[in-house]
Amino acid sequence: MTAAAETVPGAAAPAAPPPVLGRVRRRTVAAFLAPAVIALLAVGIVPLIYAVWRSLYDFNLTRVARTRFVGLDNYATVLTDPTFWAAMRRTAFLFVTAVPVQIALGLLIALLLHRPGLGMAKALTRLALVLPMATTYAVVGLLAQVTMNQRYGVFNQMLGWVGLGPVNILGNPQNAFWAVVFWDVWQWTPFVALVLLAGLSTVPPEVEEAARLETRSHWTILRHVQLPFLIPSLVAVLILRTADTLKLFDMVFTMTRGGPGNATEFIAILIERTGNRQFNIGMASAQAIVLLVITIVLARLYVRLFYRET
Amino acid sequence: MARAAAAPAQNLWAQGVLLLLIGLFCVFPFYWMVTTSLKTQVVALQSPPAWWFTPTLNNYREVLFVDGVGRSLVNSLIVAVCTTALAVVLGLPAAYALARFEFGGKRELWFWFITNRFVSPVVLAFPVFLISREIGLRDTHLALILMYLTFTLPIVIWICTDQFRSIPRELDEAALLEGCSQARIFWSICLPLAMPGVAVSAILSFIFSWNELLFAYILAPNAAKTAPAMAITFMEGYDVPFGKIMATSTLIVVPVLVFALLASRHLVRGLTMGAVK
Amino acid sequence: MTRISWASALALGAALAMPAAAQEWSLEAAAEPYAGTQLDVLFLDRPGYAAALQMIPEFTERTGITVNVTTVPYENALGEQVRDFVAGGDLDIALIDLVWIGNFAENGWIVPITEFTENPDLVDPNLNLDDFFPLLLDAFGSWGGVTYGLPFDNYSGLLFYNRCMLEEAGFDRPPETWQEVMDTYGPALTKDGRYAFALQSKRNETQSADSFARFLWPFGGSFLDAEFRSNLLSPESQAGLQFRQDLMQFMPEGIVAWDHAETVNALAQGDVAMITEWSSFYFTLTNPDTSTIVDCLGVAPEPEGPAGRRPALGGFSLAVASQADEAERAAGWLLIQWLTSAENAERYLRLGGVPGRQAVYEIPGVAEEFAFVPALVESWQEGVPEFRPRFAEWPEITEIVQEHGTRMMLGEVSVEEGARLIGEQMEAVLEAAGYYDGTKPLVQ
Repeated sequence: MTAAAETVPGAAAPAAPPPVLGRVRRRTVAAFLAPAVIALLAVGIVPLIYAVWRSLYDFNLTRVARTRFVGLDNYATVLTDPTFWAAMRRTAFLFVTAVPVQIALGLLIALLLHRPGLGMAKALTRLALVLPMATTYAVVGLLAQVTMNQRYGVFNQMLGWVGLGPVNILGNPQNAFWAVVFWDVWQWTPFVALVLLAGLSTVPPEVEEAARLETRSHWTILRHVQLPFLIPSLVAVLILRTADTLKLFDMVFTMTRGGPGNATEFIAILIERTGNRQFNIGMASAQAIVLLVITIVLARLYVRLFYRET
Repeated sequence: MARAAAAPAQNLWAQGVLLLLIGLFCVFPFYWMVTTSLKTQVVALQSPPAWWFTPTLNNYREVLFVDGVGRSLVNSLIVAVCTTALAVVLGLPAAYALARFEFGGKRELWFWFITNRFVSPVVLAFPVFLISREIGLRDTHLALILMYLTFTLPIVIWICTDQFRSIPRELDEAALLEGCSQARIFWSICLPLAMPGVAVSAILSFIFSWNELLFAYILAPNAAKTAPAMAITFMEGYDVPFGKIMATSTLIVVPVLVFALLASRHLVRGLTMGAVK
Repeated sequence: MTRISWASALALGAALAMPAAAQEWSLEAAAEPYAGTQLDVLFLDRPGYAAALQMIPEFTERTGITVNVTTVPYENALGEQVRDFVAGGDLDIALIDLVWIGNFAENGWIVPITEFTENPDLVDPNLNLDDFFPLLLDAFGSWGGVTYGLPFDNYSGLLFYNRCMLEEAGFDRPPETWQEVMDTYGPALTKDGRYAFALQSKRNETQSADSFARFLWPFGGSFLDAEFRSNLLSPESQAGLQFRQDLMQFMPEGIVAWDHAETVNALAQGDVAMITEWSSFYFTLTNPDTSTIVDCLGVAPEPEGPAGRRPALGGFSLAVASQADEAERAAGWLLIQWLTSAENAERYLRLGGVPGRQAVYEIPGVAEEFAFVPALVESWQEGVPEFRPRFAEWPEITEIVQEHGTRMMLGEVSVEEGARLIGEQMEAVLEAAGYYDGTKPLVQ
């Protein structure tokens, strides 16, 4: 793989490989890489091996004395467990509902910010956009509890102003799911908007100007002039939102803990419950490993997609 | 540009109003968080909720000095600062190597780093709990500092690799011809030029570590308990103290928001790991 | 022969000497060797713990033993303790919900009290275990005939009601039976956006303990039959669960997401007329800061079902953790003994706790001052210790009950289907635990 360097995204991709610079003694390479690699092996890989080992046992913290080797039994259970797959489906459904909304709204916001004029207002809006995505995820869930409380929440008060509600938001399975979607959209639309805005600014101004002289239609410009430049940003958004949706834990944990019923039991919440509340570490490890495999497959897939697009 | 400059005033108005609405949408939850934190429990439990009331700092006084949120904020600070420093120290050389050296397995290594961004902490949390008890690291800052490397180290490596690549190679080639060692080129020539990337990755590492809940919740139940893990202890089903919860939330969120605003120009690049400039 | 008589004479002498020694026993003297010891314990954010926190400074002052209390939500309390005990952590005292006792005892995480009661240096001569309600000492503190913990934070399910709302609707007494709630109180009190009844049913221990089990027992149902097979499909169990389902028409929407806070608050704000809640909420409901119905509050035992009155039973005992070292064990015992002592019972009650001692409720005036006392004392005569099975497998089983119990209420599965699912999964857990092949005795 001599071409490895060029395929790494963001690489400056120099036409000719530099004569001396790239080739260094293996020892030097090792010395530079070792600290990070050893650290990540210790904190990232060792626990994984441990998890694989534990996943082969019937291992429950509340009966450690009766731990026994069960081979692949835990995996058989996980792979045929409707609860596990329901949680996976729910996670996927969250992705396909929240992310399109984030992209649509994000694009709208990015286009608004891309338009000329109103410099001060745009600068302030950009600052406001930074706030949600830096907010502690656990706090987002707490905010949801306070604002969406059926009786004391400001949400229902506002719905009342327009003649709606009061709605039982977090206590109704469907509504609770949409509440998670809402807060995910609140937290991550600004991120999508700023990423797309960065994409828009890569459109050469002269190309855009020329197009504006051709047509009045914003849609045509978006579709034929701006979109090609937005593809890398969109791909980045999809990759990162996939990762975050699979990891989604803190916000739901503090908002609904997976309830009511299991309406908001996403995959990370389910695994936490298995390990932390049923104390079934063997099973939780098997669930985690299955999730990891799915994650890696998705990551591979995306990386390929990313290569093709860039 | 001509068309835009000639845009009718009403368009500008519409744009302004939309921008205002977007801003309000982003900011309103924070407004509600801060005002609720200034309410007594009786006011917080008014229905419909009160918009005007006499503010009190009692919630802050209580959570900081009675409930131990103060100590947990200190814990969060220790953990976030240490893990950030460690990630930068460990990650910079690797980033440099990825940017400048050719070696076999580079692509696999790079893929391994990106996968870390995908892996859910819940995958690692239980084995790490069991390991930490065996090596005596349970409920210590060190356990969290080490585990937070799983996401801070990739951030540093990614952003800084990107940063090193943007430095013209001619600089180090010249140095190489003058007989400088790789270590020296890294340290004296490239590192000073890479400082913006280092700063962005450090700020992001800090934010991610400060915000983390799951590892903290499982690994640090008491002495090393961090602020987000502290915040959820108020969620007892018995009596939900809205004011105290929001006061704690405010104390947690304000430092990261300040950091995020400081780095707002670079935040997107950082969060997309350099994929978007 | 002489030897034997010498020995018995010695024993006799020791026995005679005991009372003398007992009179000299004092907390200060007993604690002297352990001054400076620090005890670590988890507490909950509930009235009984707030009361204890007000008492502990006096204990520290008298003994020099300091107590480091960490407050956690109930939902985290089991996990934090299990992880601490598995990890050999810091906790010196275990806080044991009655459904955890089998688990803690079987894992050897807690120390039988005989280690202390047989040590005259440590045991308070006024300990008088017989003064505890036998049901409480048995259910909260004992497992397999061995006593580990002393009842500390004690609950019985009670019917709290809004007397004014009932009177307005023409009722001069609270319902005696669940059938009355369904037939007359329910329809009459559910109107104008207010509801007759609220049953906390959130998917956590509340669903299992406060909602699911509450409608099994009064109807003659139970979790398990004598062979430890699921009894949830028996006609009695089904009748009870179906009754719960039907009763939801008189409850606010979204009851499946309600925990104690929402439920108590709904009564406190006059939104619902009746709730069945733990005795300790009396103090929340009589506090004018948190309740608008202080003058209308009524307290009665829970309604009876066809099988009689089987009120919910819950509560916590404190036991010494076996991971504590010798000094911490002794100091921990002294704290537990002191907090739950007959001597401190009235004070604990006045500070907002609910003591498990019988004598305190016989003090003249107490029953009048604390309106919940008669109903409480009555409930503790008839409680079912295995209201929720207390064996080591409960933490796993409760998760199953919580999941399908809430799905049942939401109508996602039928009552029968839900009960079947719980039964199947519960039996799988019990099978794996070894109850069916005779490895484990059938004790709950």
